[in-house]
Amino acid sequence: MSRTDGRMVGRSVTLNARTLAFLLVVPVAAAAQEFPKTPPPPAPVRPAPFPPFQEATLPNGLRLLVVENRKEPVVSVSLSFTAGSVLDPAGKEGLAGMTASLLSKGAGKRTADQFAEAIESTGGSLSAGAGSDFLTLNANVMTPSLPLAFELMADAVIRPTFPEAEVELLRTQTLSGLQVQLSQPGALADIALQQALYGAHPYSRSPVPASVRAITRADIVAFHRARLRPSGALMVVAGDVSLAEARRLATQAFRGWLGTPPAAAAVKPPAARTASEIVLVHRPGSVQSNILVGNLTTPPGDPRQYAAAVANRILGGGSDSRLFLILREQKGWTYGAYSGLSRRKGLGHFTASAEVRTEVTDSALVELLAQVRRIGREPLPAGDLEAAKGSLVGSYPLAVETAEQVAGAVANARLYGLGADYVQNYRVRLSEVTAAQVESAARSLMQADAAAIVVVGDGAKIYDRIKGIAPTRIVDPDGKPLTPADLVARAAALPFDVKALVVKSDSFGIMVQGNQLGAMTASLEPTADGFRYVETTNIAAFVQQRTEVTADQALAPREVKQTGKVQGQETRIDVVFAGGRAKGTAVTPDPEKPGTLKSVTIDTTWSPELLEENLVQAVLPGLAWNEQAKWTFSVFSAASGETRQSTLAVTGKESVTVPAGSGDAWKVDLTGGPQVVQFWVSVTAPHRLMKVAIAGTPIEMHRIR
Amino acid sequence: MRTSTRWLFTPLGCAILAGLAFPPAIPAQDPGRINFERYTLPNGLTVILAPDRTTQVVAVNVWYDVGSRNEVRGRTGFAHLFEHMMFQGSANVKKGEYMQLVERAGGEFNGSTAEDRTNYFQVLPSNRLNLGLWLEAERMRSLAITKDNFENQRETVKEERRLKVDNQPYSGALFEGMYALADSATCFPYSHSVIGSMDDLNAAQVPDVQAFFDLYYAPNNAILTLTGDFDAAEAKGLIEQYFGGITRGKEPPPVACSQPFGTGKSSRPWPDSKATVPGVLVAYRVPEYRHGDTPALDLLATILGQGESSRLNRAVVRDQKLAQGAITLMNPAGPRRGPGVFLALGIANSGVSADSLERGLSEVFGTIAREGISEAELSKAKNAYRSRVILERQQALYRAEALQAANLFLGDPDAVNTAWRRTMDVTVADVKRVAAEYLRADNSLTLLITAEAR
Repeated sequence: MSRTDGRMVGRSVTLNARTLAFLLVVPVAAAAQEFPKTPPPPAPVRPAPFPPFQEATLPNGLRLLVVENRKEPVVSVSLSFTAGSVLDPAGKEGLAGMTASLLSKGAGKRTADQFAEAIESTGGSLSAGAGSDFLTLNANVMTPSLPLAFELMADAVIRPTFPEAEVELLRTQTLSGLQVQLSQPGALADIALQQALYGAHPYSRSPVPASVRAITRADIVAFHRARLRPSGALMVVAGDVSLAEARRLATQAFRGWLGTPPAAAAVKPPAARTASEIVLVHRPGSVQSNILVGNLTTPPGDPRQYAAAVANRILGGGSDSRLFLILREQKGWTYGAYSGLSRRKGLGHFTASAEVRTEVTDSALVELLAQVRRIGREPLPAGDLEAAKGSLVGSYPLAVETAEQVAGAVANARLYGLGADYVQNYRVRLSEVTAAQVESAARSLMQADAAAIVVVGDGAKIYDRIKGIAPTRIVDPDGKPLTPADLVARAAALPFDVKALVVKSDSFGIMVQGNQLGAMTASLEPTADGFRYVETTNIAAFVQQRTEVTADQALAPREVKQTGKVQGQETRIDVVFAGGRAKGTAVTPDPEKPGTLKSVTIDTTWSPELLEENLVQAVLPGLAWNEQAKWTFSVFSAASGETRQSTLAVTGKESVTVPAGSGDAWKVDLTGGPQVVQFWVSVTAPHRLMKVAIAGTPIEMHRIR
Repeated sequence: MRTSTRWLFTPLGCAILAGLAFPPAIPAQDPGRINFERYTLPNGLTVILAPDRTTQVVAVNVWYDVGSRNEVRGRTGFAHLFEHMMFQGSANVKKGEYMQLVERAGGEFNGSTAEDRTNYFQVLPSNRLNLGLWLEAERMRSLAITKDNFENQRETVKEERRLKVDNQPYSGALFEGMYALADSATCFPYSHSVIGSMDDLNAAQVPDVQAFFDLYYAPNNAILTLTGDFDAAEAKGLIEQYFGGITRGKEPPPVACSQPFGTGKSSRPWPDSKATVPGVLVAYRVPEYRHGDTPALDLLATILGQGESSRLNRAVVRDQKLAQGAITLMNPAGPRRGPGVFLALGIANSGVSADSLERGLSEVFGTIAREGISEAELSKAKNAYRSRVILERQQALYRAEALQAANLFLGDPDAVNTAWRRTMDVTVADVKRVAAEYLRADNSLTLLITAEAR
């Protein structure tokens, strides 16, 4: 489509309407103009003047695609390899992602700091990451710094140094991030859905702490050496540069770089599903359920993709879509319900999701499925079709304004094989979609009756109500199968000896990288009919907190009270334990939304075998410590009202020196909570706590007294 | 238009390829030129048109020449409250319908209030230019100022104040305390916050709001800027049709502010019940935005206190460990036609007093005033600045904002094509001079932020 001569190429109807519109708005006597009382209708869409692209393949096999745009002296470069996480070896999931992150942490003659300084001092940026299918580097620079960007990119992909210290630092950061992620129901739901959708296919796998720990520097070196090769790689350059210049720069920077990655092993595509199945991920005490409904769709580039996009927009693509309007606005069951289509080099998938209150899980799931079914079966109202197309067609130009956006869109289209003119003709193809096509695409690509369904929630409350919707199997958050009997909260008690507990007051300095930034005190004292445990924490500008647990003679809690400020926001917990129930309220930092507080009303069953979360630290002196010591026990969290399984396990013996003294200590991992906590408990009795660390962070607590 | 990149084959180009120790003084690659025309309707509406047929979006952007600086005693917070009101519906647009219309067209929208101006904008695919213009004209001519809308938005604004200012540590000092830098008796316009006081918000009445609308939300007090993909002749026709019939308003009263420099050092405690460690905010008076010293001050702010390698971060945070964080900001609420503010905010490490931190900050300012900065620091700051200008200019919305700012603060939209050069021309001597001239104790306000109730 050409616009250079100013003429519009298109249907004559369009041309006439535009001429007519123009005539109508030629300024005449101003007074004659009425102000329209309704919004003016859309004018015809001008054919998209998408910049042309030019291509070349370098002798080493690197494909170069250039979208020249001289408007601003800026260039965006993306370099993609077929080296996504789908290629992670089994048991080492996370390898592609870690390799990508490490490319800039030392390359050529530069250390990580020097590499960062080199790009940042020019006002530019360079980053790398890995998705399911591709590993991509992106650089955004001003024109004069383009040679430097090529030099840095070449160093990163040809000669990264992968310093051991950087590998370990990244591992720590990755593990820390995973800890938080895996404690969040939304993430658990995604992981379970990928497993349910893709089965034995590698797309089903996600990183877990064990896989990240298993990755070695040698693995990273090998992955890089095998996979980051020029043959088959795609470089897209968009902005203030010509094909000739880009080719010259690429040839210069990547000279000597040769090779072809190994061919992808043929993997059997996942089997098509014939009936719906529910996987219930049991998360005891959850006050919400995360529902995901999905099915496999097609390889990328399927001709139905435009109609499917429209169907998805109508069903759940925004705040005026059916899922949102019905499940949220009408029924009030959820804060948000959406749907989406995901691309993969192999088979992609469709997903519909909602996070709902536990009590309405079954109703919401039924309604969600009904809406997915309906869009393929009911004639589409014209208004719905026009609104969805208007929104999709209209928003596309906003997504390809900058050089970086253009490079990304073009790379995406090419890497996924969406068709040579996908980007230029996207809007036209979308606007041509008919209602019949939408209904047909929905019928074939959105399978309410052969869906993989995942529900993450409190199985004890929801299993009986959802098992009638589709055959249901139950698992724990690690994927281990459970039976319905397992849903009944069976408390395993931690066997501590109350008589061995030390009545004392401990003071700890809270240390971050050698600096004391705060203090913690923990005191256990007897009362007339039991114990009182008080813990205070003060850390710099961030935390000021006091927790008090009153308990009976066996250390079963009667009341938990916490007051505090976290980053200026007031937190509180007030929970009372009586008559087999725990009741109260808690306002605490939300681990899923850092910086915000989560407010919870608690009214749930509770039994005295459940150790209150704050008391774990207090009972350490009462345990029978030895080299193989390991206990799994039930913990109740007054902060969330949830019960979970925790494990205390000795991982070694170390000599420890803290201000309070020196000596041998058992090193103990406490797992099962949002973070792994490490304790150092003195080997000789009384087994006092000497040191505490929060794994994956630089925070440690050293006992002073 | 674009000069060729033959410089790659020059000694300078080879030097770049070889990797110099510091970013070289690169010959300026100009941000793209923005061509525009400006005209005024008989009712006083100023229109700036900057078409660009190489994109597929259009930005419809309106600035009203009203902000917190126009507020009078007892009525602070009005301009901001008003910005909220503008989204609540008008004669032909129901409440909530504005958002739906823009989203169904595939567009994005927002607005914001500053000291000198309030802006509203939508970015749309170009064939919906008419919708954007109609929506702006519609609310300019017939905003629904009802008791319900007003009370609703007043509550929203009060909640916003609670959330962002009152309940966040150190925010009070930044969003409110800082304004004591201007003398309330001689420069009331810049001596109070944009969000306004709770008392004033509570005392506001519907007739006040109506009067504010009539005075400030009139075509003669507005500048409409269009950028992106449109035909100028067609746009002019639509503008005439939609905006032409809106009646001109009275000329708003002038804003009076007299603020001398170097009137002395003012230091006061600022109790903050949300803070858990002390903080220090030091603010210096600087000239109005269009003054010749602004570019040097802008780069000074970058070098002094923005980013990992800034002077404050290196000295006060990493080396001396006096602060867990320290930044500098110039005119955080936007450029002004009145005296500006250059400030540093530091949050102390546990165990460090506000006085110690203040001494640490002053020492860094004093060093720069005495010894100046290095060429490497200047180069890096200039590259970051130019980079920002160029990256932003790729988007129609930012081009519109740049034209608006050039028009209002520098008197000519064409300044978008020339003003950035002033920053590129700044020398190390300039930076040293402005540091010595403005970052002086006798030209400052210091707030010693302590963790206690107000």
